[in-house]
Amino acid sequence: MKSAEFDAIVVGSGMTGGWAAKELTELGLRTLVLEAGRPTLPEQDYVEHTPPWKMPFRGLGDRRAVAARQSIQSRSVSFDELSHVFWTDDVENPYSTPADQPFLWFRARQVGGKSIIWSRQVYRWSDLDFEANQRDGIAVDWPIRYADLAPWYDRVERFIGVSGQAEGLAHLPDGPFLPPMALNCVEQHVQQRMATKFGRQRILTIGRAANLTVQHNGRAPCHYCGPCQRGCITRSYFSSVNATLPAAQATGRLTLRPFSIVHGLITTGNRVTGVRVIDAKTRTERQYTGRVIFLCASALESARILLNSGLANSSDQVGRNIMDHIKWAGASGEFDGWTDRRVIGERPNGIYVPRFRNVTSRFPDFIRGYGFQGEAGRDGWRGALRAPGIGQALKARVTDLGPWSMSFWGFGEMLPRQENRATIHPTLVDAWGIPSLHIDCRWSENELAIHRDMNVTAAELLESAGARSIEPSRSGPSIPGGTNHEMGTARMGRDPKTSVLNKWNQAWDQPNLFVTDGAAMTSSACQNPSLTYMALTARACHYAVEQLKRREL
Amino acid sequence: MERRDLLRWLARVAGIYAVRGFAPADLLVFGNAVHRGAGSVTTEPGHVERTVLIAAERILPGATEANVGGFIDKMLADWHTPEERGRLLAGLSDLDARCRASAGRDFVDCTEPDQVAVLTSLDNEVTALRAGPGSERANQHWFAMLKFLTVYGWCTSETGMRALGLHPAPWRYDGCAPV
Repeated sequence: MKSAEFDAIVVGSGMTGGWAAKELTELGLRTLVLEAGRPTLPEQDYVEHTPPWKMPFRGLGDRRAVAARQSIQSRSVSFDELSHVFWTDDVENPYSTPADQPFLWFRARQVGGKSIIWSRQVYRWSDLDFEANQRDGIAVDWPIRYADLAPWYDRVERFIGVSGQAEGLAHLPDGPFLPPMALNCVEQHVQQRMATKFGRQRILTIGRAANLTVQHNGRAPCHYCGPCQRGCITRSYFSSVNATLPAAQATGRLTLRPFSIVHGLITTGNRVTGVRVIDAKTRTERQYTGRVIFLCASALESARILLNSGLANSSDQVGRNIMDHIKWAGASGEFDGWTDRRVIGERPNGIYVPRFRNVTSRFPDFIRGYGFQGEAGRDGWRGALRAPGIGQALKARVTDLGPWSMSFWGFGEMLPRQENRATIHPTLVDAWGIPSLHIDCRWSENELAIHRDMNVTAAELLESAGARSIEPSRSGPSIPGGTNHEMGTARMGRDPKTSVLNKWNQAWDQPNLFVTDGAAMTSSACQNPSLTYMALTARACHYAVEQLKRREL
Repeated sequence: MERRDLLRWLARVAGIYAVRGFAPADLLVFGNAVHRGAGSVTTEPGHVERTVLIAAERILPGATEANVGGFIDKMLADWHTPEERGRLLAGLSDLDARCRASAGRDFVDCTEPDQVAVLTSLDNEVTALRAGPGSERANQHWFAMLKFLTVYGWCTSETGMRALGLHPAPWRYDGCAPV
């Protein structure tokens, strides 16, 4: 057999692809990273300091262009007039859903992927999460436990830099945190009142964010400008562009190829020998060969590649068990007082209330749980945009800071269910002729019960803190996919008959194929998942390299 | 929007919405400002443009200095739908009709107290709509559109952001700073 051009091929350059690139190159592998989208040039593409008056629509976005080309992507919370370039074109990248059940598939195609536009919240999982499926008799058991991943969480957190407060909670383990960001006055008040009312049962802590509060690994601390989703010229938040890809580049063993859309994988026997790539610009096909392949293309893209290749699917689990986090429940309330205080600067982080349902006691309405994110602040001019009055009275209202208010919004765990499934569409293809997905994903009663409870307990928290005008969310459940935490489409497990990957993220059917993005997840927990994807990726890379050295791959 | 399209559209809207009292030339001037090179052409503002600029200043004093008119122009040309634009222009025509009925002259020629009075009564209509069922309907009122564009335009202008203490950026975070 002709020797491979590369030791490793990584598909995707985002959150997990960047980690695979860093770990594999640092361990000595000549690594090719394939990115479907364009290069990212921070000096040119990061525009976080552009003031509103320099934007054609002052931040309201190019409504017509968005309606024509990005009607789905624009529903992401971090999509805006400038950050829209970091999402895909919906016309070029179609997918279908059942008529009665939409699914929001937010996608990013550029070097850095969604790590440029993520919300940067990072929380460890614990054995409350890793043991959950086994405990509840749901789906399949995770093949790993917290102890397997803990050192890799350490490794990832030390590199990316996570600001946060250690709380000593067994179900939300602490890490080697950088100094926490500050709570504002009302958040401190709510924290104290919650402690009085709920003790350690329900605590409020500052969000754990991949935003630096001190100089770290050559990257500058956050300067609180606000719109992280437009990039960060000081590299103060973690993205693959800001941290892992430069580390990989520094080894001299990285080849990064943008505009490379992976159509499928090439096999010989039960080995994947390479990838088939369509050049996004010339539409010509190329093939690359490698000894080990890492799929880091995002949960649904990686499943699409596997399904289009007909690989790793003897269990018939590829594309199944789609999970997201259910959101759009919570509550807001106003606070009297602190009228002589205001917030200065834009903190790219909020508060976090770790899960409290089904932790130490059983809650009857549902299994699993949810956490709250949120923040307090003064509405200012945005609260006055529809205020009554004209003239000086309106001017006074617009320039007034308004009362303090605080909101909690929940993120609830979703159970893995086989019928929540992506399949290859029989006729629909993308702009490059690659078959697209049909995605059928629905909430079950357990998620809807969580959604209802989030409204109730958020209001309880505000009430305990003495808020007035408490308003639970009137929004219904989010559309599946809308939290952009899609995962589970090539799950890890203990049995090749019921799972796609083993405990090392290695495909049971093709031992030199690894899938380390969200596809690998066996359950969804309720914490933001990117940290766990990164830890799984680093762990799988070290395993793969050991196996290569032993000539067992 | 291309100038050519704008002309075509304005001709159509003038018919559909019966924008009474505005000569076509008046309609053309507003909506074109954004296409003029800044300072390269000096034309007297047309009737619609003057109506918008004065109304914006009465709604939020300081709007003129912050060039809110330029923002409204851009939004009407390239952001709002033809239907929304038509509604706003028809509303401006209605504004003149109200002024002629109450003060015997167009809005721009009214005294400041008369201008404030007619805008206040429009604002009250919107507030009443907002108190009723379906506040989206209130936001669709032409005066609510104009007022939103004025307030948003001022708050996102350099002048407005300086006045609001939001510019220049502080480059730090203080969650409990004195006002």
